Amino acid sequence: MLSVTSWAYVVVIAAIGAYAATLADSDLSTILTAVSALVVASMVRVAASNAGNRFTTGLAVAAAVPMVLGADLGVDLAGAIAIYAIGLAIVWAIRYSRGEGHADLLPTLVRRFAGYVVFATSYAALRVGAFAELSGEWRDLFPFAVALAAWIGVEVILRALLVFGKRELSRGYLARSMIHDMNVFLGLAMTGALFGELWPAIGWWALPIALLPYSFAHLAFRRFQETKVTYKQTIRALARIPEVSGLGIDGHADRTTELATAVGKEIGLGPVQVEDVEYAGLMHDIGRVSLNEPQILRMGYNDDDLARWSSEIIAESPYLSRVATHVRHQYEPYRKPGEQTDPDVSVVSRIIKVAAAYDWQVHQDELSPLQALENLHAGAAYEYDPEIVASLRRLLESRGVLTPVRV
Amino acid sequence: MGLTALISSFLFSAEPDWGFWLPFAALFVLIEFFAVEVNDRLLQSSSVMVLMSAGVILAILPGSDALFGLALMAGLGPLTPADFKERRWFQPLANFGQFALAGAVAGLILDLNLDGLAVSTDSLVHVLIASSVAAFAYAAVQTILIRRAVKTVYGRDNLEPWSQMPALFTGQVTMGILGGLIGAAFLIAERQAIIVFIVGVYAIGHLSLYAFAQLRDSHLGSIRGFVKTLEAKDMYTRGHTERVAFFAQIIGEELKFTGNQLETVRWAALIHDLGKLAVPTELIRKRGRLEDEEYAEMTAHAQLVEEILAEVDFLQPMVEIASNHHSGFDGGGYGGSTHDEGRSPSLEACIIAAADAFDAMTSARSYRMALSQQYAIAELRRNSGAQFHPEVVDAFERALSKTGRRWGAPHVDDEEMARRLAEDPELSVRG
Repeated sequence: MLSVTSWAYVVVIAAIGAYAATLADSDLSTILTAVSALVVASMVRVAASNAGNRFTTGLAVAAAVPMVLGADLGVDLAGAIAIYAIGLAIVWAIRYSRGEGHADLLPTLVRRFAGYVVFATSYAALRVGAFAELSGEWRDLFPFAVALAAWIGVEVILRALLVFGKRELSRGYLARSMIHDMNVFLGLAMTGALFGELWPAIGWWALPIALLPYSFAHLAFRRFQETKVTYKQTIRALARIPEVSGLGIDGHADRTTELATAVGKEIGLGPVQVEDVEYAGLMHDIGRVSLNEPQILRMGYNDDDLARWSSEIIAESPYLSRVATHVRHQYEPYRKPGEQTDPDVSVVSRIIKVAAAYDWQVHQDELSPLQALENLHAGAAYEYDPEIVASLRRLLESRGVLTPVRV
Repeated sequence: MGLTALISSFLFSAEPDWGFWLPFAALFVLIEFFAVEVNDRLLQSSSVMVLMSAGVILAILPGSDALFGLALMAGLGPLTPADFKERRWFQPLANFGQFALAGAVAGLILDLNLDGLAVSTDSLVHVLIASSVAAFAYAAVQTILIRRAVKTVYGRDNLEPWSQMPALFTGQVTMGILGGLIGAAFLIAERQAIIVFIVGVYAIGHLSLYAFAQLRDSHLGSIRGFVKTLEAKDMYTRGHTERVAFFAQIIGEELKFTGNQLETVRWAALIHDLGKLAVPTELIRKRGRLEDEEYAEMTAHAQLVEEILAEVDFLQPMVEIASNHHSGFDGGGYGGSTHDEGRSPSLEACIIAAADAFDAMTSARSYRMALSQQYAIAELRRNSGAQFHPEVVDAFERALSKTGRRWGAPHVDDEEMARRLAEDPELSVRG
């Protein structure tokens, strides 16, 4: 599915670029230099780990383009569009030929191009339009700020609209994931603007000066991401301790987490909450490490004890204090008869409750997926949150685990 | 000394352009104030960038000198409210003097080289050279003064936080040079938007670093949480892990480990007993020798957990050290997958082994009293070269005497009593 249509998109965008190049005021060598800068910069990935978006330093080059092409007041818009189009076409041609053909490449290409063009167009329009009257410093700052806002708007909207074959992800999650990684996006755009501001005054000296603050930020992004990966690995490893010691069922934490995060994304939680779901899922049964203590075995325990032990262990790390609360409430019923729902029981706790119960019934009680889901349905409204059970059903159906009942 | 530098610089130089000085000084103080404690050369020295930018601008502007301005700005940097609240006078004063002196030196160099320079793209090379010299001098003065201060206060110069100074040096100079270039570029371009963008990118990076530091602490916190759970199983081992980590740290310092090595050893100490989480509590609490089967079960469980932890890339080296802490220096004992019968384990594993055994002897068990420090040291000595690494034992003894604290029960000082207790077959030196 990917190959033909994808290449068609690349060709179309390249053609737009070639046409724009014929209209451009800038000379060919400027355009070619900018295109190669865009291509090279697009090969450098930037670690955005909050919601796992992929950015490249190409964003910075794209932000610099209209400023570098701008003379006193006017901006060579056709030139900028030519650079974007040709540059992106080359980048994507390289990606496809490398075999990086996963499904979200295509929407990304469309989104990137649209975002770049909107940015350059609004920047060019504002430079000669509304802000031309402004004097001095602010004449550079305001058009950039407004154009950047327009760019971000386009990114967020297109992210939610251009969902190709990803029914399991809600539009709300996709749009919010962009906002959550805004720090990286802003850092890149401002680096480009810095270069663009310096370029007319000092030429290529602008490169080291623009790169300095950025390299600092880049290092910080990378460190954060590395630590996050490590942290998740550690939590995952720790979560398996009760399982390898025979105190829980094998793989329960992993499977519950997978299911719970998918449900979280499906019902439209933001990346922060989805991450909470992930940690809570991994550690929801961590208290089981205490189950080999003779005293506990003698006196017995209930679900509430387990939740308490688990949350006590989790609460040791300040970063996970929210997760500790979610885990503490993981066994509370959705609603007691005659009462409102308990506001202390978060949606994260309710998701964990449903996902853990489903996994337990399928893998411990050896029920079929359909039977397990029917049990959850029977408990919905009092024991389980009906919305989450419905979401789980949609998820399982789209994965083909359940065959919808036909009459 | 720094104060003299400040006063004399005030006398000999023209006033700085306060309009430029103020925002830069504010930025400088802000960066110093929010410095995140990360072993990261770019961060710890990033304030020098602002300082150099300001210095170049002040030096170049006609009628304004950098000397006094830089000395004052640099001096303000390290002053934090916390120091005054706790009525610590010496440290902020020493910092103030040290920074002011370094700032004055840098300012002087910039003044001499750049005063009245007509800035343009062509003169950027000139600025580059001047700011390299100034940045180098600034970093050099800082390094020398900190060394001296540390030596007079603590009596030795390899304390952990300062042991990485040489590595910081290069970073500081680079940042300083580029900072100077930014200052010149700012004057040429005459656009305030530049500052907004620089500060913006920088602030974003800083927030990320802050988040990184939090996450890293949390990583440690999670491991500690598990250790606590483990230790809750047996009241006699409470605090064991933290103490072993402390002993490992002071041994490492005594052996002149670098910051990274120390970090690794500390982590290894923290996880060295994590495998016991998987071992049934009766086995951990059991008095006396374990039956062969029980022993096998204990090691199997512990190794399983270590295998799981080995999937964490970051912990890989630590797990290797921790899993070998029961191996003897002569290659005896048992250990993880990298344990090789007849070969000594790594130095780090030997450190954990000695620290672990020492703490096991000097803390109480259900079946015996805590032994005295003398006895424990003597026991380490007796097995030095066999079970324990001789260098580690030496370093441990020196490090312990430096702490000025005594471990174990003082009243088991009597050799005879200690021996009688120790000869009890239930007591194993291997902890």
